[in-house]
Amino acid sequence: MSMDHSHLTRRRFISNFAFATGAIATGVGSWVVRPDWANAAEAPIKVGIATDLTGPIAYAGNADANVAKMVIKEINAAGGLLGRPLELYIEDTASNESVAVGNVRKLIQRDKVDMVLGGITSSMRNAIKDPIVARGKTLYIYPQLYEGKECTPYLFCTGPTPAQQCDEFIPWLIKNGGKKFALPSANYVWPHTLNVYARKVIEANGGEVVFEEYYPLDQVDFSATVNRIVSNKVDVVFNTVIPPGVGPFFKQLYEAGFLKNGGRLACVYYDENTLNINQANEIEGLASCLDYFKALTKDDPASAKIQAAYEKDFPGNFLFAAGSAATGTYRGLKLWEAAVKEAGKVDRESVAAALDHAKIAEGPGGPAEMVPGKRHCKMKMYTAVAKNGTYEIVAHSNGLVDPKEC
Amino acid sequence: MAAAKQAVARLSEGPDVVTGEGAPAAGVPAGRGAAGRQVLPIVEGLVLLIALLLPLVLQDYLTVFATRVIILALFALSFDLVWGYAGIMSFGQALFFGAAGYGVALMARDLDITSIFLILPAGTLIGLVAALLLGGFLLLGRYPASVIFVSLGTLTGSYAADRLARGWYYLGGQNGIPSIPSLSLGSTDISEGPVYYYLALGILAVVYLLCRFLVRSQFGLALAGLRENEQRIAFFGYKAQHLKAIVFAIGGAIAGLAGSLYAFHEGFVWPNILGVVFSTQVVLYVLFGGSGTLIGAVIGTVIIEGVSFWLSDNYRDIWPIILGVLLLLVIMFRPLGLISFVLGERERVGRFGKAPKETHNAAP
Amino acid sequence: MASSFAAAFEIVSFGAIIVLVVLGLGIIASMMGIFNFAQGEFVLLGAYVTYLASAHGAPVWAGMVAAPFVVGALGFVLEALIIRRFYAAPIVAMLGTYALGLIIREAVRGLIGGFYLTVPEPIGGSIDLGSVHISTWRFTIIVVTLVVMGACYLLLARTSFGLRVRATLENPALARASGISTPLIYGATFAFGAALAGLAGALIVPVFSLFADLGIRFLIQGFVAVMVGGVGSFIGPVAGAGVIGTLSAALPWIMSPVVADVLVFVLAIAFIKFRPQGLISGKGV
Repeated sequence: MSMDHSHLTRRRFISNFAFATGAIATGVGSWVVRPDWANAAEAPIKVGIATDLTGPIAYAGNADANVAKMVIKEINAAGGLLGRPLELYIEDTASNESVAVGNVRKLIQRDKVDMVLGGITSSMRNAIKDPIVARGKTLYIYPQLYEGKECTPYLFCTGPTPAQQCDEFIPWLIKNGGKKFALPSANYVWPHTLNVYARKVIEANGGEVVFEEYYPLDQVDFSATVNRIVSNKVDVVFNTVIPPGVGPFFKQLYEAGFLKNGGRLACVYYDENTLNINQANEIEGLASCLDYFKALTKDDPASAKIQAAYEKDFPGNFLFAAGSAATGTYRGLKLWEAAVKEAGKVDRESVAAALDHAKIAEGPGGPAEMVPGKRHCKMKMYTAVAKNGTYEIVAHSNGLVDPKEC
Repeated sequence: MAAAKQAVARLSEGPDVVTGEGAPAAGVPAGRGAAGRQVLPIVEGLVLLIALLLPLVLQDYLTVFATRVIILALFALSFDLVWGYAGIMSFGQALFFGAAGYGVALMARDLDITSIFLILPAGTLIGLVAALLLGGFLLLGRYPASVIFVSLGTLTGSYAADRLARGWYYLGGQNGIPSIPSLSLGSTDISEGPVYYYLALGILAVVYLLCRFLVRSQFGLALAGLRENEQRIAFFGYKAQHLKAIVFAIGGAIAGLAGSLYAFHEGFVWPNILGVVFSTQVVLYVLFGGSGTLIGAVIGTVIIEGVSFWLSDNYRDIWPIILGVLLLLVIMFRPLGLISFVLGERERVGRFGKAPKETHNAAP
Repeated sequence: MASSFAAAFEIVSFGAIIVLVVLGLGIIASMMGIFNFAQGEFVLLGAYVTYLASAHGAPVWAGMVAAPFVVGALGFVLEALIIRRFYAAPIVAMLGTYALGLIIREAVRGLIGGFYLTVPEPIGGSIDLGSVHISTWRFTIIVVTLVVMGACYLLLARTSFGLRVRATLENPALARASGISTPLIYGATFAFGAALAGLAGALIVPVFSLFADLGIRFLIQGFVAVMVGGVGSFIGPVAGAGVIGTLSAALPWIMSPVVADVLVFVLAIAFIKFRPQGLISGKGV
């Protein structure tokens, strides 16, 4: 990860000195990105990012933080927002809800940010939404694909919903995999709620759910599950197990010969970042349905521009990928920018009113628009299959897909 | 009389790492206390004064943090009672803290109860009952339970509760229970900030005084005897295991009270507040501050939480290592904790009931 | 038939992992009477050394061979400097080793940056027996565990070094009077226990991936296993580990994994309560 050192300082509420930026590279602790405008006369607009810089989802959190830095830099380079520079405050949620709440409080009460974007897992979103929206009275944008049903006022979701991920994906799976589904899942809210929706779509399309099971997040031994999958001759494993369990799970499934016997893996959060968790042969043929894949850059110039800009600023291991909330972060920030421009002000009420119907013409994967009154976002969806360690797009939606939420 | 003489003689020996199973270390650090002056009330008064004035000088955001520290200090108090006064190394105090937290969270979520008059007693009761059950199982029985067994038993209890909460979807699973509404007093909400701060401080002060009273009473005298020599106390006719179980239950109740305050202050509960890491955190606080003094628990919590917060921006990577090293040094060289720098041994053990004129420690 | 064979294999392989971790813990507990709360972190160190080796381009198995020696050496040093002071009281030993474990864990967390890192298996793939596929690496773990157990037994029961260790265990004063250097024996024993943990960490890191909290889960399971099996002998902790490992792996096949997880511990504690000496009481090998 390359950092522009001159822009980075560590905020201390007791004293003001710049901390060695070596430590900043690991992304630990809170820090600020300030624009390089000399003597910016206007008060800055403060953007807060709360994401997993450490922990099992750190591969995604760091990507999101990078996207935020990139977007803010672009906006500042173009003269800022409403003529004011943007300041970025980043806090680590550390995949630890208690730490996250404490750090989010810093953003709201100490740094007094005008907006917070972040949270990746649904449990994190649930933990931090109260301090942000209810107690903190601040706007909150949630960028990640999730299970839906989040209708809290002033909370806007810019990631795919179950309707967007399942409605066209599951019929494709049935046609290109088989009718018997297994739903191995991590035991928290996202898989529980997603599975309810997925089951409906599976059964409506003539499929059958052979079993649905939930495991603790740190479980790494899936022998019982694998055995059940093989002995029941399951065709499609619609997986919602997340790291750290997903790597060992796919490995054990592969070793039991699931792929060899024609089985299909399906995982709706699997993107370019998670491809690296397993060896390529262990996940050959894995299908995913997201709002963006890097393979799109061949055909979509807007996506190519964004991907190139990201890779220039942040070469390294944290990839710009849709399952890691990176595209949702980009989309969220650009939609917010459009809303602030329309509102002309930064207070929560005005921005929320404008964000309600905000649109962007150029986003990763295509344009995006918020559905008025629903606080969710329409976007294009793509189905892709993992071949030899990279994704190949096999299907796409006709135009923007409705999130069907709230 | 002979027992008192022996106790006094023991106290004048040189410092030793530990003089036996279950008892906190005895030793005579050179301090002003040895001369007979009462340092403890001064320390306590000072801490209380600072605590009362804090919200007036701190920004709101720091007051919220300070409230959290006070609640954790209450939690540490429960552990000090159990370890410092009854010699039970409970590695599972978080079980009671977390059980109460979850209990009141469920009450708020499913039954819409947020009144302070229902929540706090409920939390205390949950902690009490859980501690009675676990303590009863671990401590009572035909043979006195070994210290190792009790500590391992509490450790396992905490771990098992953590795994259960993590797996049970009704309790929210990995998510825990978010969005707990504010505590209410009649029709007003007690939200985080100075109001909650003074509430927590008030509760801490009351519980502290109650504990002080308890350990200086005749019951406390029996506990002191238990610490010095469990077998001898049993020969005197005291049921040692029952005494321990009672203190364990009281400790659990206090932990439960702290847990319910925590749940409504933070606004969410999750499996980590039941687990082993959180349980051992409170052991750290008390060990650092000084066990067996009550105020030591409070001081230890404040120092560790405060420093860790202050350094959290810059030295977050290194601070836990430094903390571990400091803790190791304290265990190796200053097992009585930081408080022993100002508190003499006589004052630490304390006076019980009304002191007879001849000796400092009450004779039977 | 095939599925019960697969089940049996999985159960045995998981049990083997636990045995390896507990072996070191049990030896230290039996020989020196202290519960080493840092044992989980020795496992972590073994895993970390292996990761370091593979991250710097060395073959993974080289890291795995090096790990027990590195961790053992560290254990020897720690025993001389720190652990030695704790023999007087088990409770202080628990706290002191806990502090030590905290230092090690946070140091590793700082070094790996809070991420979850994967290490490839030295011997990948699977062995196919008809329709049953067995992970080669997990099979290797079972084999190594058996070899290590056998070697430990031989070392303790058949060599003069083992004789000296047992003598020190039985009667330290007499052993010292007979010219056996007790501090050295203690140091070597602790180092040995640490080395076993390091080996366990090295072997399991391809299965579990490396993260800072790796040691904690093994610590709890390890302690419970040692208490169930019985402190004071060599076979005791092994038996305990076998029972706990088998239960932990077998129960999820017949009930929900969540309930199984908790049930193992509840059963173990109840068992210890009613039979405090564990499965196998008595000292010696």
